[in-house]
Amino acid sequence: MRSFEYSAPGSLREALEVMEQHAPDFKLLAGGTDLLVDLKHSLNGPTLVMDLGGVAELKGIEETPSGLRIGAMVTHTEIQQSPLIAKHAPAMIAAAATIGAVQTRNMGTIGGNLVTCVPSLDSGPVLVALDAQVTVAGVDGRRVLAITEFFVGPRQTALAPDELLVDILIPTPMLGRATAFRKFGLRKGQALALVNAAASIAVNDGRIIEARIALGAVAPTVIRATDGERVITGKSTDDVGALREAAAVAVTEARPIDDFRASAAYRRELIAVGTFRVLEEALALATSS
Amino acid sequence: MHQIEMTVNGQVMRAEVPAETTLLSVLREAWGLTGSKLGCDVGDCGACTVLVDGLSVNACLLLAVQVDGQEVLTIEGIGGFDYLHPIQAAFERLSSIQCGFCAPGIVISAKALIDKNPHPTEQEIREALAGNLCRCTGYTKIIEGIAEACRIPAGTDGSA
Amino acid sequence: MSEKPTKEKPADLGDLLADPRVGQLPAVTRDPIPAVQALRVGANQQTPAVGQRVTRLDIRTHITGSTRYIDDLAFPSMLYVKILRSTEAHARILSIDTAAARAMPGVVATLTGDEIPENSFGSSYQDQPVLAVDRVRHQGDGLVAVAAETEQQASEALAAIKVAYEPLPALFDPLEAIRPDAPKIHRDNNVYASKVIIRGDVEKGFAESDQIFERRYSTQMIEHVPMEPFAAIALWEPDGQLHVYSSNGRITLGRADLARTLQMPMNRIRVTATFVGGNFGGKNEIRTEPILALLAKKTRRPVKATFNREDEFVASTTRHPIIMDYKTGVANDGHLIARSVRLILDGGAYASWSETTVGKAAILAAGPYRIPNVRVEGHAVYTNKTVTGAMRGFGAPQVAFAYESQMDEIANTLGMDPLAIRLLNGFTEGSISHTGQVLQAVALEETLLTAAKRSGWMEEGT
Repeated sequence: MRSFEYSAPGSLREALEVMEQHAPDFKLLAGGTDLLVDLKHSLNGPTLVMDLGGVAELKGIEETPSGLRIGAMVTHTEIQQSPLIAKHAPAMIAAAATIGAVQTRNMGTIGGNLVTCVPSLDSGPVLVALDAQVTVAGVDGRRVLAITEFFVGPRQTALAPDELLVDILIPTPMLGRATAFRKFGLRKGQALALVNAAASIAVNDGRIIEARIALGAVAPTVIRATDGERVITGKSTDDVGALREAAAVAVTEARPIDDFRASAAYRRELIAVGTFRVLEEALALATSS
Repeated sequence: MHQIEMTVNGQVMRAEVPAETTLLSVLREAWGLTGSKLGCDVGDCGACTVLVDGLSVNACLLLAVQVDGQEVLTIEGIGGFDYLHPIQAAFERLSSIQCGFCAPGIVISAKALIDKNPHPTEQEIREALAGNLCRCTGYTKIIEGIAEACRIPAGTDGSA
Repeated sequence: MSEKPTKEKPADLGDLLADPRVGQLPAVTRDPIPAVQALRVGANQQTPAVGQRVTRLDIRTHITGSTRYIDDLAFPSMLYVKILRSTEAHARILSIDTAAARAMPGVVATLTGDEIPENSFGSSYQDQPVLAVDRVRHQGDGLVAVAAETEQQASEALAAIKVAYEPLPALFDPLEAIRPDAPKIHRDNNVYASKVIIRGDVEKGFAESDQIFERRYSTQMIEHVPMEPFAAIALWEPDGQLHVYSSNGRITLGRADLARTLQMPMNRIRVTATFVGGNFGGKNEIRTEPILALLAKKTRRPVKATFNREDEFVASTTRHPIIMDYKTGVANDGHLIARSVRLILDGGAYASWSETTVGKAAILAAGPYRIPNVRVEGHAVYTNKTVTGAMRGFGAPQVAFAYESQMDEIANTLGMDPLAIRLLNGFTEGSISHTGQVLQAVALEETLLTAAKRSGWMEEGT
């Protein structure tokens, strides 16, 4: 690794000041599972690496009046073990369990995963299905964005060079919303997603009143399949055919690519299967509660 | 340069390192704890697995400065030639290990598992080892060894 | 199924499974584990091995992390070496400028190929330069070695080396490389090792066959990926002996290659084998040893080079991809009459263990089946790709994939059970192999039947 300076601010304020001073020639260190790999392979490393491990404002999972707040520095293991997440957003646990392996989940953070903004990021689809918001902060203040606005393109978020991701909020109306997640990889452990799918469903009086479908690894960013959602909204909870139709429509909303992991054609098959399964699973959860 | 201090296998260790020094290199090069191995250097193979404050991590992906003030357990702190941890004793009985390069990381991951879950299912053992690669023996004897170790009362070397 | 069952043809697989020989192989043991045996056995004590559970002598140090692999060794004042590798698949080297690198902090010495007394090595043909001088033949050819106080300084110095290339047309497909008009990678022929096996008359056999099956099979390149990357250390003893520590699995060959490349007598070279953290055939040749020996001499200090994972993929050997054209003539009752096979091995940029591999692949290519007429030809071909060499089985797994795939295809078309067609044609006691060897202690039938029984093949297959 090239040499660099290291700073470990003790507060968000301090972190933002250092960032403003050094932007854009710094890297933020969260869990390090991606950053250290990049630093080892880069010949033009940053002059400063700022470790966010000591910033208390970025940690913790808590219920607030507006929803469930998850600090950006919360690790995937903490998500897996959180009683609050188990209660309000258990699909996040299903997604966290598919990330890397035990060691990487102990180190890696949800915020770190989101800011990489790779199309295959595993934390994204469930958060999109749960209509999550993110708070970003700079020295001049904070902004709140919908998670879908945060994802701009491959490896590109809405963060300005001197801003960082503070937390993720699952809004109160979405807490406990029936949600399911599926990941397809080439193997079970330590695999990048070929296709990720998540869905959330609300039912009332035997009908689907709201549905959200999110897909990962099939477009430049995690996407919502809104046409697919429209197919099932208002349908009877017994209408399995509608779920299949929604899955078929979702396929048309994705733009999967051919690469060495899978062909676009295979990914389209996975989108159809994965979308149907998450809809079926979310619907079963919604109707059983 | 950064002064760092951490408890490694129960002993306070100090070093002065540049920021870009990984935990793995300070363990191996500064303190001679060469049991943790460099296999892939990108967090895929698990040969460098150690426990930091009780959690298994890839020592190749942590900066030594990040671990300042924390507690580290490496393979050297788990057992020795004359005293084997039950996982090690079971690996020896079953010849779970061939070339041995993955063994330290696997013992650490297995210990992290059974410290929290003393009676894991086979599936739980497999999931706990997802971050540890082995290229020789395959995983069957390793998984059998961990299952075997879980039937042994803690605190014995399992050889009796 | 066939219309006219022959004497050899099993009428009913159920009968065969009832054969008393089946099940004589020891059952998989799930018994409680016997107590740990004494680690050390006295010098004059017999160690009963067959049928016994024995404790590996080296396992206790492995599981306690105390085994010293080569990267766990260090010597006082040791330097670290990194190697600059070609970015071109095929190019003429116009110039190499190491001046800036030599001025970098911590850099003690550099080495280029023209400083190596005999700059070539290889297990059958010495066609591979230790460091390329005038031409690179794949991305991964070493060009310059840098010895520095730290590994990081050595790595940083590599970035300061300037290499000018004149790109040459590169070949990535062995089928293109065998065309007469293809650019030549070495000398005048890209085919550098061949093996032909002929038994009977395949053309006559095809004419006598009821059906002909033809198919091309191909396999991919595979890297061994040992957990331990390759490493070596060189130092000069006070009496002028060269001492090399290496994770090389064939140290006697390594010593001979060192003597050759360094042009010094073998008795002045000592090679110490260290514990190997996985080999699988990928650590069977010298890699950096002569470079380290020369840098140690230049600097008068011990030097060490440890491959990183990228080096391991591009600068070690891999398993040969093989393009395998199979043609098999069969009688309608399932008997194999004739088989011709053409194997084109992607030999990569240098020969390495290709000669052995093409030989073994050809010997085994017709499969463990009684076929009166066989013709196999195998050719290893240069391409501008990663060097292919030894890997577990030397070509055997590739051809097994092909001939077993074709057996399934034949069984499927003839409406035979895939097990039945193998039992019908498989080698038995006294069968003559395709290279004329009379085979003894042939357990193919028992093995197949036992496997069929244990796997529940009959239940699932019917």
